[in-house]
Amino acid sequence: METMGFLMDGFAVALTPYNLMFALFGAFVGTLIGCLPGLGPANGVAILIPLAFTLGLPPETAMILLTSVYAGAMYGGRISSILLNIPGDEPAMMTCLDGYPMAQQGRAADALAISAIASFAGSLIGTIGLIILAPVLARFALTFGPVEYFALFLLAFATLGGITGKNPMKTVIAAALGIMISTVGIDISTGTQRYTAGVLELYEGIDFILAIVGLFAISELLFFVEARMGKGRSKVKVGKLTLSFKEIVSTIPTQLRGGVLGFIAGVLPGAGASLGSFISYTLEKSVIGKKGRFGEGDIRGVVAPEAGNNGAASGALVPMLTLGVPGSGTTAVLLAMLISLNITPGPLMFTQNADIVWGVIAALLMGNVLLLVLNIPMIGVFVRLLSVPPMYLLPIVTMVAFVGIYSISHSTFDLYFMIVFGVGGFVLRKLEIPMVPIILGLLLGPEMEKNLGHALILSDGDWMTLWSSPLAIGLWLVAGLGLVLPTLVGPLLRRRMRSAIKEGPVSD
Amino acid sequence: MTGMGDRILGLCLLVVAVAYGWVAQQWPEPFGGAEGVGPETFPTILAAVLVVGSLYLMIKPDADAKWPVGKPALELAISIVVLVVYALLLEPLGFIVSTTLAIGVLSWRMGAALGQAFLTGLISAVVVFGLFNYGLSLSLPNGLLGGF
Repeated sequence: METMGFLMDGFAVALTPYNLMFALFGAFVGTLIGCLPGLGPANGVAILIPLAFTLGLPPETAMILLTSVYAGAMYGGRISSILLNIPGDEPAMMTCLDGYPMAQQGRAADALAISAIASFAGSLIGTIGLIILAPVLARFALTFGPVEYFALFLLAFATLGGITGKNPMKTVIAAALGIMISTVGIDISTGTQRYTAGVLELYEGIDFILAIVGLFAISELLFFVEARMGKGRSKVKVGKLTLSFKEIVSTIPTQLRGGVLGFIAGVLPGAGASLGSFISYTLEKSVIGKKGRFGEGDIRGVVAPEAGNNGAASGALVPMLTLGVPGSGTTAVLLAMLISLNITPGPLMFTQNADIVWGVIAALLMGNVLLLVLNIPMIGVFVRLLSVPPMYLLPIVTMVAFVGIYSISHSTFDLYFMIVFGVGGFVLRKLEIPMVPIILGLLLGPEMEKNLGHALILSDGDWMTLWSSPLAIGLWLVAGLGLVLPTLVGPLLRRRMRSAIKEGPVSD
Repeated sequence: MTGMGDRILGLCLLVVAVAYGWVAQQWPEPFGGAEGVGPETFPTILAAVLVVGSLYLMIKPDADAKWPVGKPALELAISIVVLVVYALLLEPLGFIVSTTLAIGVLSWRMGAALGQAFLTGLISAVVVFGLFNYGLSLSLPNGLLGGF
């Protein structure tokens, strides 16, 4: 019952008019970001970080804003899936399967409405799961020493590529690059200058916020320029809402199954929202069997993946909040915000910054209600915004990102750096080097080094200490599996996902 | 030969890894002596990991990606130049002028009509400037439009 008390305190934080306003703003902007093809949740949150930072928002408000954007983006992803047959973000691609056929049959409004309800259900289940699981995991994580943390960080990197990841070696390379960038600057424990080449701006290290914005926002712009997709695509008209109450009730079991499965997929390292929606869809298909018309516009084919990916979105917050180890791109970006706010992520956050943690969780619940309310009557607004072609939108978004970065430090040096990261990110993405491990490396690098140092000091320089506790060995084993499994299972899963969808994901 | 992209990347990363690892060995021992872990320990491990990774890339490269050639490559170059010039001119020209130009050129190159592109640029520049300067009281450079 202790949890309930904390949750009530959380609501007290989230329900202040000031925070509520930012939650509403975040939910709206997030939905917008989610529904625009090419702007995924990680991207959207990354662009808003500098803004939250320069506005001087108090930590809990900043986190509430960004979590609302995150939740909103998960809602928004479905809009372009249904209307354009292009997923707004990767997790929304399963929604295309039945969402677009429904829209073609003139039931676009129904598909949008039922998917909003499914998103709500999935998110609600995921958040309840988060409330139950997070404190337990945080308490367990308190027993972790530096050795276990070091192994845990490795596990995070190893599983980041996900079971569906292509070449695990590229994940390793990306992670190494990210950690390398994080070592630039003055070493915290000894004061040695590392890789600064005497440049004053580098003494404090490379700010990961500008690296993130460069890697995501600028490289995305360059991808659009290259693909010449500026004009956008034609979309299906939204008709009248004909959804009956009976139909909504009939999908409740699907929503429950999807939400729970999604949540589990979200919590597990290396699975994430995309797999969450895929598993929910596949399971639903086999449960309903021949009675359904999956792939031709079955309403349950829209409900299952949406409940799944929103459940997974909340689930992914569990490792981020309790261990300080994010399992996905977007939660990595949220972690970046936490670190810039000088909050040490991890189990101690639940005791030291209880107001923030529970404020965020309460905001997630609130945000979901807001999103449901926003998404049903205001769907027309989002649909109209969807017809703004990217050729106007992306340059504006990029410039806002520039301004955000500029307003943090008022130095153009940072802007050049950001462009370098953007161009580098474009080249690396072309070569299929994933971006997320780079970012995670930037964020976790210093922590990893610190824990390695502590572990070795405690053991008097004996490296065997890294394998000394059963828990650490377990973590190392899972990390190893995380690298090996994709080469074995990956091709199989990828083939099944591909045969299910013709159009590949636009970005992560 | 297929997989040239990965091979070249592997070679570049190998150079980076070796240089990174070598530099790490040059640092003077910190005051008070090293206790198990010095400033160079972690970078040395990273360099080793990257060496292995880059060698793997060169030996077993993936199939090549489609690299832009001709017009798309030119468009890309233009976009990057626009971004650099924007960073360069932001302070001297001020936010509104430089942002209008940057958004205008980018939208135009992405396929918008010239006039519409710059109009979009101007409107969004003014709106963002107003929002930041007056709404959020964060000062953006005024530049040419000094007293605005």
